[in-house]
Amino acid sequence: MTSDLTALPVSGPPAAPVPDARVDPPPVQSSRSKLVERVIGVTALVGIAATVWLGLWVTPPDKVQGDLVRLVYIHPGVAWVALYLAFGLAAVSSLLYLWPRTRSLFWDRLAAAAVEVGVVFNICTLVSGSIWGKPTWGVWWAWDARLTLTAVLLVLFLGYLALRRIPAEPEVRARRSAFVALFAAIDIPLVHFSVNWWNTLHQGATVLNPGLKLKIHGSMAWTLLLGFLALTLAFVWMLLVRYRVGVLEDWLAANELDFALAERQSEGAGPSGTDPGAGPGKGPSGEGPSGEGPTGDRVGVA
Amino acid sequence: MRYIIAGYVFVLAVLALYAVLLVWRRRRLARDVERAVGHRPDTVPASEAAR
Repeated sequence: MTSDLTALPVSGPPAAPVPDARVDPPPVQSSRSKLVERVIGVTALVGIAATVWLGLWVTPPDKVQGDLVRLVYIHPGVAWVALYLAFGLAAVSSLLYLWPRTRSLFWDRLAAAAVEVGVVFNICTLVSGSIWGKPTWGVWWAWDARLTLTAVLLVLFLGYLALRRIPAEPEVRARRSAFVALFAAIDIPLVHFSVNWWNTLHQGATVLNPGLKLKIHGSMAWTLLLGFLALTLAFVWMLLVRYRVGVLEDWLAANELDFALAERQSEGAGPSGTDPGAGPGKGPSGEGPSGEGPTGDRVGVA
Repeated sequence: MRYIIAGYVFVLAVLALYAVLLVWRRRRLARDVERAVGHRPDTVPASEAAR
């Protein structure tokens, strides 16, 4: 963070470098990490394509649900990613940020990335569930405990994303975001156990039930598990890319004032090296005797 | 069958659009960083530093 910009001169000849070693080095992604990211992305894409092929064309219709069972190959997968992976990771990362021994903006960025991806998967969960519910239950929506708590979870994490957009110092934003993420995460176990605790319209867990006994078999089970795996990989890929976006955004936000001033300096110098704002007694390097601005003044950031 | 197709199309389209958006955002930000670094004579552009 380079909040102290007072040593940056506003003007000077074009040849004068900007003596500012405090600007963070630009974030560079290593070629190895790019390769890992690409491998995960391609594997996820292939896995999702295979799930769609198996789910729509290969697996047989269900004895009770008929063809509607085909929606089950993606709906629990997106719910797994949203509720358990994304929001669970956001909660753990937020906790690690708040814990003094592990406090680092890495955890804050990871939580933010996980929540954004999780919100997308949560929307997919609600909509795909609703599309399955209409022909099965006869309604697009029911105020069932699991459905309602999942919708509440979406609203809570949308609030988290809105909170992050309020301008603040990175540490302040990270701290209050972490508290909100932990508060929102209270809803995760409520969503999970809602089908056990209350008499809900939503069916019980097919995979993540007590005892972890699969209630689906044969090619249907393999397709369901492949869907889980492929969507998990898609989540990991999105998380990596979104994390990178966060790193770049933070770097630009931390350094934009430095660059704006440097740009202004080069523009103000003009092609002939003259600067209307420069005062008398300007030395050859464009700096005053104390190494400050050309006129000895310091540039203040109000 | 139309419900099934609608479900698959919605989920896949949303995930694909979000993935494209993420890649676009990353490219735009990386370009902004390159441009910002280009204004500083004493730093190496990110593209050169990666080599």
